[in-house]
Amino acid sequence: MTTADRTREAAANASGPQPSASPARGRPTPFAIALAVLVPLFVVLAVTTDRFLSLDNARAILASAAFVGITAVGATLVMVAGSAVSLATSQTATVVAMAFLATQQLGLATALLIALACGIALCAVQGAVIGFWGANPIVLTIAAGFAIGGAATWFSGGTPVYPDARGFETLNSTWLGLPIAVYVLLLVTVVAQWTLRRTTAGRQMYLVGENRAAARAAGLPVGRVTVVAWAFFGACTALTGVFLASFNTSATVTLGGTLTLDAIAAVLVGGTAIAGGRGSALQTLGGAVVISVLSDVLLLRGFSTGTQTLVKGVLVLAVVVAVHLRSAGSRR
Amino acid sequence: MNRRWLSRPDRLMPASSLLIVLAAFAASPLVSGRPLELFDAYNALQGFAQLGLLALAIGITMIAGEFDLSVVGTYALGSMVAVSTGATHPALGVLAAVAAGAAVGAAQGGLIARLRIPSMPVTLATYIALLGLTYVMSGGLSKTYPNSDATLWVDQTVAGIFSPRSLLTLAAFLAAAAVLGCTRLGRELRAIGGDRRASRVAGVQVDRHLVAVFTTSGTLAALGGALLGYSYASANPDPGLQPLILAAVAALLGGVSLAGGRGTPLGLLAGTLSVALLAQIVATTALPDFSTQLLYAALLGVIVAIESPGLRQLVDRIRAHRLERLS
Repeated sequence: MTTADRTREAAANASGPQPSASPARGRPTPFAIALAVLVPLFVVLAVTTDRFLSLDNARAILASAAFVGITAVGATLVMVAGSAVSLATSQTATVVAMAFLATQQLGLATALLIALACGIALCAVQGAVIGFWGANPIVLTIAAGFAIGGAATWFSGGTPVYPDARGFETLNSTWLGLPIAVYVLLLVTVVAQWTLRRTTAGRQMYLVGENRAAARAAGLPVGRVTVVAWAFFGACTALTGVFLASFNTSATVTLGGTLTLDAIAAVLVGGTAIAGGRGSALQTLGGAVVISVLSDVLLLRGFSTGTQTLVKGVLVLAVVVAVHLRSAGSRR
Repeated sequence: MNRRWLSRPDRLMPASSLLIVLAAFAASPLVSGRPLELFDAYNALQGFAQLGLLALAIGITMIAGEFDLSVVGTYALGSMVAVSTGATHPALGVLAAVAAGAAVGAAQGGLIARLRIPSMPVTLATYIALLGLTYVMSGGLSKTYPNSDATLWVDQTVAGIFSPRSLLTLAAFLAAAAVLGCTRLGRELRAIGGDRRASRVAGVQVDRHLVAVFTTSGTLAALGGALLGYSYASANPDPGLQPLILAAVAALLGGVSLAGGRGTPLGLLAGTLSVALLAQIVATTALPDFSTQLLYAALLGVIVAIESPGLRQLVDRIRAHRLERLS
């Protein structure tokens, strides 16, 4: 009997007798009932809302999902790979936005490349410290947030960064009625989903996220896989930063705003578990769109920003509880 | 004896950080060019009062191995409730705020303990929801507090350097230290944070303790918010993430580990005082604002380095290698 077998047996004994079939099947859980009541209710509410079912509104929903969605898709990989979340997302996006606008005179393509390199480098370094040294991601990203935010204030002198050229305005244009950011969101989602499902690195992200110690014992390159996940996240954050910069045409140290938590909320609503090992980029896209639709319906019905935020919080809570109950049920 | 007492990180970290910051505080006249006054100490303690209850709230959840992100939401809710309800009777406003905070904390604690969910996503969701709630309560604007007597009272100087607000904060720390130090509770909380399954097997009432921890953290955060609302004579619906992050920094400097199972209220006190003194040093020496951020980054960098298992293994390996060569 190998050590692995013994560990597995010990784990099986520790979690008690195991029923062969999932107990959730056949007997509806309270959350399934709640879901069955709430979802149709919401659909009816949405469809009966004035101006909800229009092409313009659909465009507005997608456009408002795009900025946060791009970052959230990247954050999915980080969460799947078991490094929970980054609390430095806003700062990273802000710095990238500043770098992008400050290098506009070099041409759009060069500025874009510099911005992407900047975002990838900042996040890959954090990923390396987490992956190779096992640093706590929360403490590390708080530290990184201070360092990046402090450096941004230092170099910008606390004043807004204005571009020397207007090449970035191409990014604000629309194509077939949709902003470019929406196409980028779809592209990023497809790339992320393909990476997670079809590449070795992506498959390994699930394994590392599920059980880091076991993945290391099995000889998986834990450090490298974590760095890849963070680098991808960095590229996504950089893209959001670029779009934020283009949209606002200037960058201040507060440009990132609430991006950090909005992105985490979208990933969680998509059903990715914070402990890692499960989740997908497509679900995160769904999560970002659901949040966007919800805000849109509440806005059209005349509710305030406060109510929208309140409902968003309750939605995140409900999904977190539902996902946890489902995964706990299938594991037991 | 002394060396052994200091060899544990939950004592070494707060003691050394407080000593270093105190030395820097004493040396700050060399940079600012004016001697230290009692008023500087008063200001530092006011900063401590602003952060303290929040740091204590998040600190005790971290000792028990959880991470309560929602404290900053409860903080905002506490100041909003106190300012809205305590115009004529300030004590009533504080009571209402504390009750609201305790209710939010108990609900979260119940959910986390009963369903065994990781606390971070749950408290993040609560934070977002509470933010929305404070916006709804205030209409998105900050709400002014008309009772100027209460505002003057909470910030009046007591014995030169204290105020009722900082004394209350200090009292909360000492009370927490007494409760966790003199009863089994302190050890049980650390046990829950260190190894939850083992402490459950050993007969610790894990679920009940977790509910109590979150209720306490909600109560403390709301109390801190209420006092802040009275002090500023207004309540801000969105304090941002900064107070939360500073409170977490204070807790980490106080020797609490994010992995749980380590830390004491007195350590938290030292950590919070360090952060407050640091802010006061930056204010008196007129250092640019970003230098504080870079300083925090460096401090947390040190904590990350000390705590990360990979680095520790590396150090151990080098040490073992050297010992081998010596023998």
